Amino acid sequence: MKFFSTILVQTNRNLQKTWPTQFMTLLTVSLSVLIFSFFFLIYTNMIKAGERLGDDLRLTIYLEEEPVLEMQEQLVRKITNFSPVEEIRFTSRKEAYERLSEQLGDNVDVLDDLDPSFLPPSIEVYPKKNLSNLAQIKRFSEYLSTLPGAVKVQYGQEWVERFNYFTKLLQIVVILSGSLLILTTAFMVAYTIRLAVVARQGELEILRLLGATNGYIRTPFLIEGFLQGLLGSTSGLFALFFLFRWIQMRFTGPGILQLVEFTFFSPTIIAIIVAASIILCTGGSFSSMRKFMRI
Amino acid sequence: MDTKPANKSIVEIVRATKIYTPDVVALEDISISIVYGELVFLTGMSGAGKTTLLKLICGIEHPDKGMVEVAGKDLNRIKGGEIPRLRQQIGMAYQDFKLLPDRTVAQNISMAMEVSYQNIRTIKKRVIELLRKLRLEHKHDALAGNLSRGEQQRVAIARAVANSPTLILADEPTGNLDSKTTKLVMELFEQCNISGTTIIIATHDEGIYRRSANRVLELHSGHLISPAYNSISTLNNMP
Repeated sequence: MKFFSTILVQTNRNLQKTWPTQFMTLLTVSLSVLIFSFFFLIYTNMIKAGERLGDDLRLTIYLEEEPVLEMQEQLVRKITNFSPVEEIRFTSRKEAYERLSEQLGDNVDVLDDLDPSFLPPSIEVYPKKNLSNLAQIKRFSEYLSTLPGAVKVQYGQEWVERFNYFTKLLQIVVILSGSLLILTTAFMVAYTIRLAVVARQGELEILRLLGATNGYIRTPFLIEGFLQGLLGSTSGLFALFFLFRWIQMRFTGPGILQLVEFTFFSPTIIAIIVAASIILCTGGSFSSMRKFMRI
Repeated sequence: MDTKPANKSIVEIVRATKIYTPDVVALEDISISIVYGELVFLTGMSGAGKTTLLKLICGIEHPDKGMVEVAGKDLNRIKGGEIPRLRQQIGMAYQDFKLLPDRTVAQNISMAMEVSYQNIRTIKKRVIELLRKLRLEHKHDALAGNLSRGEQQRVAIARAVANSPTLILADEPTGNLDSKTTKLVMELFEQCNISGTTIIIATHDEGIYRRSANRVLELHSGHLISPAYNSISTLNNMP
């Protein structure tokens, strides 16, 4: 009998004997992966949404007076001196009035009694940075407010800041749940293997006396750890996928979910989560054997 | 294991002493040499040190003084990786059987061959052959824990010889057997010996060695009493 077939027979035998403990460990690994990947999925989607919002981010500088051409050139120079930007667009009082009229649509008559030059002229600055550089955007906004003729700078501070804090909070949750995953998975697998080693102490003793090599004794335990990692992570990810699909089906329509546009993990991320779980479980199994098995 | 040149020792024990804590002297200043292909009886009363001597030979215990060499390997200096290889070549039938009660008879016997990664068909064939020789074929799928002591003893013997080892150590192999079954077991050992296996049988059953032409070593309170040589040919084989 060759090495692998012998080892697989041995592993199968072990699993049949200790299946209740193995099942509980599998459940724990699945739940840990589910909790972690749930928060990680929200986090990655938030990051993506942040990037999309960052693309649309613009800083509007309201001016006292409409700048003449020379003044416009000077302002562009000053702005680009501080930070390179995607685009700078000047809006005159007239253009601002026309845009508002367009936005009002059928209600445009509310503007009838108003002076077409009541809106201030402005400069729209589209920065190259995204939302993750909130501090830089703040600094940029402060600088823009010091430009000659600038009255006020707006970029939806409150919304951007809240979004940024939410993303940071999610980042902490992901790190915490990731640590939880590492701890519970490694601990549970190590504990299961320890129980299996203790339960089979007599058998292992006989195997040693019969001349079983370290590989013969240890490999089935390592395979058990490997299977725990593989099956635990894939079932956790499957559960998350079904949850994701359910949420998608239930909450389609206008609202935050439409804005965020949720997507599932890419195959690479799935592979990384599965591989990490396998490494953790096999590592837990290995450390447990080193500790409790004297060969 | 090494090759088996005629008259070369497979077991070489030189002035071995084994003391169990606190101060129980199990063996004292024992020197024995056993050549390849020999069948040796190790006799003595209970507590004489027979089991300890077998444990020293298969490397379960180590001497406090002296040297134990098996197949040219000094067991005090043997490397970790070499121990399993050596043990695969030693078939030991333990006095307490060391069977797994929740495994079948066939599975218990197979274990000895599985650890050396033998072909599954070879294992099955060998198990059936051994069970037939020991009249246990009807117990193939019975759990070892449900067998009588005599049956368990035969299963332990079958496991010891299953892997066709170079050296068989049998500790009181007929202790729980009737005369008919004892005869079967001894025939099995003799067959193994004829095919070149070295066998050491620890027993206090005078009936199995009295008329034997093989060497008998007698232990008394951890000391080797001058060995009786029942056969001139065996004597000539001594180094």
